Amino acid sequence: MSGFSFLEFVQQIINGLTLGSIYALIAIGYTMVYGIIGMINFAHGEIYMIGAYVGLMAITGLSLFGVDSIAAILLVTLAISILVTGSYGWTVERLAYRPLRNSPRLVPLISAIGVSIFLQNYVQIGQGARDVSMQPVLTGGWRFGPADGFQVYLSYMQVLIAVVTVAFMAGLTLFISRSRLGRACRACSQDRTMANLLGIDTDRVIALTFVLGAALAAVAGVLVGMYYGLVNPFIGFIAGLKAFTAAVLGGIGSIPGAMLGGVVLGLAESFASAYLQTEYKDVVAFALLILVLLMRPTGLLGRPDVEKV
Amino acid sequence: MPRTLIDALLAAVLTAVLLIPIFGLRIQVDGVNVALDRTPTPVVIAVVAVFLLRLFKRPLQRLWASWKVPGSWRANSATAALRQTAQHPRARQALWLLLLAVAVIWPFTVSRGAVDVMTLALIYVMLGLGLNIVVGFAGLLVLGYAAFYAVGAYAYAYLAQQFGLSFWLCLPIAGGLAALTGFLLGLPVLRLRGDYLAIVTLGFGEITRLLLNNLNFLTGGPDGIGGIPRPSLFGLEFGRRAKDGGATFHEFFGLDYSGDHAVIFMYLLGLALVLATLFVIDRLLRMPLGRAWEALREDEIACRSLGLNPTVIKLSALTLSAAFAGFAGAFFAARQGHINPESFTFIESAMVLAIVVLGGMGSQLGVVLAAIAITVLPELAREFNEYRMLAFGLVMVLMMMWRPQGLIPASRPPLTLPERAEAAR
Amino acid sequence: MNRFNRHALTIAAGVAMLGLSGLARAETIKIALAGPTTGPVAQYGDMQMMGAKMAVEQINAKGGVGGKTLEAVVIDDACEPKQAVAVANQIVNQKIKFVIGHLCSGSTQPASKIYEDEGILMITPAATNPAITQQGYKMVFRTIGTDDQQGPTAGRYIAAKIKPKKLAIIHDKQQYGEGIAKEVDKTVKAAGLKPVLFEGISKGQTDFSALITKMKKDGVDFVYYGGYHPELGLLLRQSREQGFDAGYMGPEGVGNKDISAIAGPASEGLLVTLPADFSSDPANADLVKAFKAKNEDPTGPFVMPAYAGVQIIADAIKGAKTEDAVKVADHIRKNSFQTPIGKVAFKDNGDLKEFEFVVFTWHADATKTPAK
Repeated sequence: MSGFSFLEFVQQIINGLTLGSIYALIAIGYTMVYGIIGMINFAHGEIYMIGAYVGLMAITGLSLFGVDSIAAILLVTLAISILVTGSYGWTVERLAYRPLRNSPRLVPLISAIGVSIFLQNYVQIGQGARDVSMQPVLTGGWRFGPADGFQVYLSYMQVLIAVVTVAFMAGLTLFISRSRLGRACRACSQDRTMANLLGIDTDRVIALTFVLGAALAAVAGVLVGMYYGLVNPFIGFIAGLKAFTAAVLGGIGSIPGAMLGGVVLGLAESFASAYLQTEYKDVVAFALLILVLLMRPTGLLGRPDVEKV
Repeated sequence: MPRTLIDALLAAVLTAVLLIPIFGLRIQVDGVNVALDRTPTPVVIAVVAVFLLRLFKRPLQRLWASWKVPGSWRANSATAALRQTAQHPRARQALWLLLLAVAVIWPFTVSRGAVDVMTLALIYVMLGLGLNIVVGFAGLLVLGYAAFYAVGAYAYAYLAQQFGLSFWLCLPIAGGLAALTGFLLGLPVLRLRGDYLAIVTLGFGEITRLLLNNLNFLTGGPDGIGGIPRPSLFGLEFGRRAKDGGATFHEFFGLDYSGDHAVIFMYLLGLALVLATLFVIDRLLRMPLGRAWEALREDEIACRSLGLNPTVIKLSALTLSAAFAGFAGAFFAARQGHINPESFTFIESAMVLAIVVLGGMGSQLGVVLAAIAITVLPELAREFNEYRMLAFGLVMVLMMMWRPQGLIPASRPPLTLPERAEAAR
Repeated sequence: MNRFNRHALTIAAGVAMLGLSGLARAETIKIALAGPTTGPVAQYGDMQMMGAKMAVEQINAKGGVGGKTLEAVVIDDACEPKQAVAVANQIVNQKIKFVIGHLCSGSTQPASKIYEDEGILMITPAATNPAITQQGYKMVFRTIGTDDQQGPTAGRYIAAKIKPKKLAIIHDKQQYGEGIAKEVDKTVKAAGLKPVLFEGISKGQTDFSALITKMKKDGVDFVYYGGYHPELGLLLRQSREQGFDAGYMGPEGVGNKDISAIAGPASEGLLVTLPADFSSDPANADLVKAFKAKNEDPTGPFVMPAYAGVQIIADAIKGAKTEDAVKVADHIRKNSFQTPIGKVAFKDNGDLKEFEFVVFTWHADATKTPAK
């Protein structure tokens, strides 16, 4: 290793933020569902995977029609992908979780693991186990730094990921804090029974939560498809595990927490890879999670747990 | 009528949206070219089917109800009867004995492959029973159980390979090391509540797997550790030829060599370990410690106010639970002969958890049956290849709807008051 | 009358069919094809199954083996060691005496122990870990080179032809990838070239930007990657994107059309060590045509070795004039066979006496040419 370089450090921050944005988008789905019904939705990673497949298909389809404007591709792909994954989110909740609403805590968890296995194999049957790949839609970027030395590279795609992530997060935050439905969501996460007594259709709110979470997972899937260009039926599991870690790191149930958790996790992985050995990046990520939970038992931005007698 | 029609149309549209991207279109990658294949038939069939089903939902339901009544009544009464017998302590005992008898006679009557699959099932029974202590009795959700399993497996593999220690010596060491791991993990993390504990154990499980993969000098990295000896029966080996001058089982008893002996022996060994596990846990449950676990699960605050120390109780549950995973791990290493980190992934932890929940949390008999079902069912369906796991996932979901309390719900070991109390009245 | 006749005919035909199928069952030699047909590596399993099935078909078309026909029995192990043991026991169960498989080294190893114990002949067309044939087994063969043949080929090529100033070796922390990376490491070190970086990524990882930045900062000008194509494809693509233009080289696990699909133009100039391209061998022209006729791709690295495996079993049964697997194994060890992968003979441990790896230059249109 040849010493510390400031420009490399900047580049690693860019790398970490990009990765973190994607984690954050997926993490929101976990955190929202947990916040409202206190359930770890293990199938969420699979929803993201479906979003990535649909995104890839939409982009391929559009290119067959000869559409080549980035904005048009992005908007149409996002719309299609959100429609499909939203439907999946809704259907899964309706069929596999709603009948279990009042069962013991572990029951929906096992059901979620079942759904996750089911969806993984279902996509494998439909699309094959092979990796599906696609050439980048948006290439190029800015370079900074000395022409003959290490140059920091910021690609348009990375900027796009950051912008889209921030836009969707801002939209979601506004929705939750300002809109009528958002208020209902918050009420449900405070006390579901009470919300129900006050005339909120909690079933509808819960379904909405699943659809919103799935929609953000679709955004992540589309961005990942455009950025990395590789999709297979198994990507959901790994990404889901990481995003879930991010959600808990930030404080599960808290939406800003999920964003923060995603970014912290992305940065931690990048730095571990840069300044330690790459094979230890996941060890660092999980060790960080454990340490944070030991210091702050409810995550970085989590509400303190109130003991109810 | 229009309402049903709208409903049916919506359902059909939803089905189309769900199915088109997965089954209606298929991305074909050929070299650098990407194309979309269209295969509309399955989607059209599904959409039409859903539409019709939704449209004629009412009449179909009525038809189903009128047709089903006698059958369902019989089925319900049968399950109810089964449930009642299962609840009855005598009947439970009889069921246990029956299971045991079948388990002992079984390996001599069936093929080698079947015995081997059952050996695998026994490993899961052990794991399920072990995890049941911490999840079912103490009510602590642990998502990284495979870590303890791995510690046990690697302990035996490493000691056998490096120092040539025998299985029988390594078994307690493996259990002890796993228990120690559980204890050390438990010390700091058990003060976390509920799902946070689950996540920390998940993280711990992943770290363990990654370390097994990364610490090449100790664990062999991704190659794992090979050449793990099979256990011997009082010094008698089960190979074709004995290593360094020992005697082999078939020579000692004057039998022809058959690979089946080793397989059956492994099965019986596994069965013995399972019985020991069952016995120990059953005894523990009748002790104050076991009662304390369950009390803690029901109400931690009440426990504390009764003077029970929750940390000690939780720690004891996790440590014991880890120890059983360690035994199972050592046995797994012996069955496998070669282990690598692939066998200790998160899915493994999730499967064991599924066994506990499917069986009925806190129910020993249920866990045993669920473990057997979960290992044997996918084996039976091996020909169906990819549909096998699809069905497996589906069954997990359906089981949770059908019997959220598990196959055989838990019942406490009964404590009757001594006779004297009756007399004093 | 007419109707009666038709009935009689149907019944007669039915009886004949039953009789035939009964006969057929008695007259087949079963060969188990054990490998992954599900899971992440299923596509490599497909190559193995495709090659082996073609061999079974063609041998049967030519009259089978000693009047009997071969029957392929596909059994899925999903490349999981635990399942592999179950599969091996199932094969013992079904009294199958010949196995083509397994694919992954991790599942081949535990399974091979069972085959050895039970006197079942196993030929793996794909598991390249050297340890498999170092167990002193008599029933285990392979029709592919090993990591310790391939690694040195790559290592020598790097040291002699590329002469990089700063070499990095990356692998995927899997048995195959890390094993081969270590061999390369050993060879280049022996040639006096010290890699500046030896690191593992994880299987299924998609973001390599941090690692690339690190290599770029360290001024790495050549990278050897031990592993499979999906990760290398992404690594290549992200390297070029970040402006890191070091050369790359990989083993046969990356020599797959998909690498170009993933990496696109970035795959141009990638070096790959591969078994000599059997599908371009003029002697195999008819066979290649047969694959193409079934719309199958014969260029995968395990297709021809799997074909060869079946053929060797068939030839050895004919040669030894017995179906006793132990004697057949002896026969294989003592003789040589003409197969699509050339004329093959085996060492005592079951490895091929000669198996040549050739360095190819990969092109963006998924074709390859021998490297200079």
